[in-house]
Amino acid sequence: MDAAYAILALPLLGTAILLFGGRRTGDPASGWIATAMAVGSFVATVVVWASLLGHSAASRTVHKGLFTWIPVGSLHVSFGLQLDPLSLTWALFSSGVGSLITLYSIGYMKGDSSYGRFFFYMNLFLFSMLVLVLADSYLFSFVGWEGVGYCSYGLIGFWFERNSAAVAAKKAFVTNRIGDFGFMIALFMMFGHFHSFNYSTVLAPLASGRLTLAGATATGLALMLFLGAVGKSAQIPLYMWLPDAMEGPTPVSALIHAATMVTAGVYLVARSAPILHFSPSAQWVVASIGAATALLAATIACGQDDIKRVLAYSTISQLGYMFLGEGSGDYGAGIFHTVMHAFFKALLFLGAGAVIHALHDEQDMKKMGGLWKYLPVSSWTFLAGFLALSAIPPFDGFWSKDAILAAAWHKSPALWAVGVVTAALTAYYMSRQFVLVFGGKARWVDRAAEHGAAGHEAGGHAGGRPHEAPPVMTVPLVILAVGSTVGWLMNAPFAGLNFLERWLAPVFPARIAPSFAVATGTKWAIGTVATAFAILGLVAGLSAWRRTAERPALEPAVLAHAWYIDETVSAAASGPLARLASGVSFGVDAGLVDGLVNGVGRLAAQSGRQLRRFQTGYVRNYALGIGIGAAAILAYLATRMGG
Amino acid sequence: MEQYLPIVLLLALVVGFSVASAIGSRLLAPKRRTGAKEGPYESGIVPRYSPAARFPVRFYLVAMIFIIFDIEVVFLYPWAVMYRQLWTFGLAEMAAFAIVVFIAFAYLVSNGALDWGPRQRTGGRPPADLARSTAATVRRVPRPEELIERAGPEPRPLEPDGAPGGAPPRQAQPA
Amino acid sequence: MIQSVLFAGVGHLAQSGSGCLGPNGTSITGLCTSDNSLHMPVAYRSILPMLVLFIGALVLLLVSALLSKRSRPGLYPVLSTAVGLAALVASVWEWYDVGNRGVSTIGGQIFYDRFSVFFGVVVSVTVVLASLVSDSYLRREGLDGVEAYALILLAGTGAVLMAEAAGLIMLFLGLEIMSIALYVMAAYHRRRTESGEAGFKYFILGSFSSAIFLYGVALTYGATGSTRFQDIAGYLARNTLVHDGVLLAGMALLIVGLGFKVAAVPFHFWTPDVYQGSPTPFTGYMAALAKAAGFAGLLRTLTGALSSQQANWRPVIWLIAVLTLLIGSVMAIAQRDLKRMMAYSSISQAGYVLVGLQAGSAAGTAGSLFYLFTYAFVIVGTFAVLGLIQGPGEARNDLGAIRGLARRRPGLAMAMLVFLLAQAGVPLTSGFLAKFYVIEASVQRGQYPLAIIAMLAAAIAAFFYLRIALLMYAGEGEAAGPAPALEPAGGGAEAAGEAAGEAFVADGALTAGLQPVPSLDGATATLTWEPPPEERIAIPPAVAATLAICVVFTIAAGVSSPIIDFARHATAMI
Repeated sequence: MDAAYAILALPLLGTAILLFGGRRTGDPASGWIATAMAVGSFVATVVVWASLLGHSAASRTVHKGLFTWIPVGSLHVSFGLQLDPLSLTWALFSSGVGSLITLYSIGYMKGDSSYGRFFFYMNLFLFSMLVLVLADSYLFSFVGWEGVGYCSYGLIGFWFERNSAAVAAKKAFVTNRIGDFGFMIALFMMFGHFHSFNYSTVLAPLASGRLTLAGATATGLALMLFLGAVGKSAQIPLYMWLPDAMEGPTPVSALIHAATMVTAGVYLVARSAPILHFSPSAQWVVASIGAATALLAATIACGQDDIKRVLAYSTISQLGYMFLGEGSGDYGAGIFHTVMHAFFKALLFLGAGAVIHALHDEQDMKKMGGLWKYLPVSSWTFLAGFLALSAIPPFDGFWSKDAILAAAWHKSPALWAVGVVTAALTAYYMSRQFVLVFGGKARWVDRAAEHGAAGHEAGGHAGGRPHEAPPVMTVPLVILAVGSTVGWLMNAPFAGLNFLERWLAPVFPARIAPSFAVATGTKWAIGTVATAFAILGLVAGLSAWRRTAERPALEPAVLAHAWYIDETVSAAASGPLARLASGVSFGVDAGLVDGLVNGVGRLAAQSGRQLRRFQTGYVRNYALGIGIGAAAILAYLATRMGG
Repeated sequence: MEQYLPIVLLLALVVGFSVASAIGSRLLAPKRRTGAKEGPYESGIVPRYSPAARFPVRFYLVAMIFIIFDIEVVFLYPWAVMYRQLWTFGLAEMAAFAIVVFIAFAYLVSNGALDWGPRQRTGGRPPADLARSTAATVRRVPRPEELIERAGPEPRPLEPDGAPGGAPPRQAQPA
Repeated sequence: MIQSVLFAGVGHLAQSGSGCLGPNGTSITGLCTSDNSLHMPVAYRSILPMLVLFIGALVLLLVSALLSKRSRPGLYPVLSTAVGLAALVASVWEWYDVGNRGVSTIGGQIFYDRFSVFFGVVVSVTVVLASLVSDSYLRREGLDGVEAYALILLAGTGAVLMAEAAGLIMLFLGLEIMSIALYVMAAYHRRRTESGEAGFKYFILGSFSSAIFLYGVALTYGATGSTRFQDIAGYLARNTLVHDGVLLAGMALLIVGLGFKVAAVPFHFWTPDVYQGSPTPFTGYMAALAKAAGFAGLLRTLTGALSSQQANWRPVIWLIAVLTLLIGSVMAIAQRDLKRMMAYSSISQAGYVLVGLQAGSAAGTAGSLFYLFTYAFVIVGTFAVLGLIQGPGEARNDLGAIRGLARRRPGLAMAMLVFLLAQAGVPLTSGFLAKFYVIEASVQRGQYPLAIIAMLAAAIAAFFYLRIALLMYAGEGEAAGPAPALEPAGGGAEAAGEAAGEAFVADGALTAGLQPVPSLDGATATLTWEPPPEERIAIPPAVAATLAICVVFTIAAGVSSPIIDFARHATAMI
């Protein structure tokens, strides 16, 4: 079981090596070091998982102490690990997918001037993510939460010499801070109520029924935690940062902004299920926000031209599904979808990365097309991911989305309806993307010819033709494609194959997540309708975009501009809000706050200058100072004499 | 107060005797003044100005070492008085004390603190600078780089610039 | 040098040979004449670390006397480190030997309790660290020899004696043994005028404060009839002597004498000059050692012997703590010499320990002990880094010397960053917990204003710590910033630079010397902001190892609890 420490220690070791090694480790040694550490961490996780399987279902929660930080009075803060089915699920797919993506990055980042820094961040991210999920208290989780936020910031702005990247990084950071603020308030409330941050003291009594929580407290706590999740997982209204986060290198988008970090919110909500249980209204909020986000993001994805932005909106939409599942009370379904999503979305992003790589950093889908024969591996694997995301049976997405829709139907048919419409839209924009990139005519030839004519940068590529990526990149693609095709077998709803559900069962006892039975007929009907909608979307997409890349009628500006929400916010922010902010900034901040701060600083400097006079350098003056001090003390004590 | 009487008497005796001898010699001594007798040493050349009252710093060092050892030895007296009562304990402690003092002494000797003359003082290092300045009898401690440069030119002799009045030349700087 | 050896000899003998009574003897003079058998058992185990350090110093001197000059240049630091480690082992053994209840031994002159053993550990560790970092510095400056290490060990001897003292006389003996060694160490750099000046100033003012302390001892003796802590406490418990003028005056003078050693305002004037002038590794040693020993004396005297007088001394310490905190922080901002800045910083740090002392409770004492232990690592490490970057002859001590260090030696900059953050009290370093514990203890006693002032001082102090940190990470004309996360840091450095330019009127008191030269005032001295020439800073292995130890300890003590448990157990005084 002490492999548990290795899970965290290995990425941390990699981080330290890459930090202190700096440029000396270089290209590609840094990449291999980082990959080795990530794989080692994954292996350690598997070992821990295997040993947990040896325990009985009820005793699969193991605590590992790390250290005590502050032992003072009632504030006894200690950090440790909690190994249970929920945390290990996340640890398994985070380190697993993380290993594959780190491996892929060795090829993708080749030749970058800051090669070592990239892998430093990758390992640091993996470490923080594992801290987040393996921590045994909300406070320690928060440390990891901030850690992944920092890595996200650093990696979105990885090419910080590009203004857009720097701006996107800032945007992600600021937006996340709003969510973190909610998380922190939740921490304060929690400490006020439970006098602890530990899962075992806060959640276990709630889950076992030894303790109940007043509705208002539960709602406040749950909503504040959910605000944190909304920020991290890019839900309405804090979703705008994720599309911009695509400024980062593509492996980063795949790892952080699709597979792992953005699911931290899903983890937090799942972890807090005992709290959520006492607040039906908070559950409704979670489910509604999830459904609304899923629909909104899916509509926007239909109008995007940037290959990565489509996937980014798709990620937002799928995260909405996960929250829909959790809000509907079926945490297993939400987590199932999270794991499946980690496979196919990582695959899609990496496939997109391969395409971008092949086309020399071209990201506009309108300038792609016909890549099927040039990039066979990428195309086939992308196809698997596309079908999985579109929820076409029997690929991964179908099964997990089906479970969520069943739960939504149980919660409310309206939520279900939103889910089904979103499913159709998902299939539509994905098929659009697929045919625009791989099918149809090659619209990039002209560009390559231009390149050839211009006579630069043609070397190495025969006639500027796109070429398949090196094995170090395609191997992860193939592995992920296999995962996207057969991964669902880990939780198939028949033949007793629902391993994941049974594995997670101890974490969500019936008290806090009452199981519900949906009649078999209804189940079939739901599955059939959803599949019909998906195929409808698929067919629509294929038929509309197979021949041409220009159909303005299907791409209204309102979608391309994401319903103008970003613009509206920006306008508001730059208009009245900015005026308010600048008013605050110049009036309150510059006048009052800065005035105070600068005043203190100036006062300090000024007093330093004045006090300097006493530091004359004359020993006799120093002695006089000591004498005066002694006299002052004597004089003071004289007043207390004889009284 | 009575026990202080002998002290008071002694004090009075001392004062009385010194006053009496001073007055007595003034009254009784013959007075024949000559020029030679008025001179400082009654013989030799009369100095035109008083020499600088400057001693090598070594004198101070030796004086200090002397005082310290002197005081340490005082510590032996009470032990000598209580010797029988203290017996083995006192013997052991005094031995420890003597060892401590002896080690300090050995250190001083090995460090050349009690040697006179320039050779031992440098203790293995090459002599710093043979050109001893007339401005100071204290020898300047050489910087490491000066020691390296020593291999180069010969130490410069004092330039006999023969300025009247013996204006001291600047402290000799190595090239 | 010689005096200190012999003083140590006297001290050693006096404390081991002057008592003849059992653990609870009542005689203060020691030499008893009641019977003829003066055979007294000396519990050597109770003074083991001190004996190890002292005999180590003697062995060093003896070895140097027997070996021919400079035959074994690297021998002395190794010996000194070994002696320090032996003392550490002895202290750890004592820790388990002494148990929870202490005794007073050797004629009632020595306390053998966990408090004294704690300081045995602190001093031994400091000796080891200082021995490790001094070697390369002394060789670079051409000062190597046995004397430096003998002095380090002798100063340690005195410091341990101060913590072990069971009475004011022993306390004074320890104080002098330590101080005289430190005076010589301050003046150790023969070719730097500043060093001689530092030693001279330290010596004169130190003697002055020693005289005041002695006067305090005499007055306390006059008031209570004893110089032993237990007897003083017992006398004060039996007799209501709450407002006795003689006792109060004695107490005041004791506070002054010990306050001088820990550099509390207004007895701090020597600190910047001495810290700036002393050889850099010795400065770190001095800061760690003198503070630890001085506070050991203060804690013994005030919370031990004079605990019944709390109502009288707590307001005094309150005021001294406030002044120390504020003046230390404020003055540090106005400095442009790194060593001088760290001197004021150490004054400010002493203020926090005073806050713990002022609480007058077990929690406050534990906080102070924790502070002193962790601070030893931080300050020795800080000055070790400064010693490396200043270059031969201590050529560059100005702020510019540290500019761009992160680019030249990232590891060194990282270590320095940890030390700075620890001194600024940033969480996950030992400095945060240290400040937390003393302020917590203060709050427990209802001292909210003091707690607030302490935090305010920390905020002011953070300014100059961070300025150094920013300077290290701000290169000039660098092609690309190290990481986007550091971009705000770059902007901050400019702002800090501006602020610094404005605030740059350092006191040039040291250069003024005993005969101040007006033209060397801050106004006319040139501001050297230029980074040092791009020569590679060599990091000797011993220093690298020491820095690693200090960094690891600083972080480990900042994230875990064994050290505070150690300090809590050590509050058990007799």
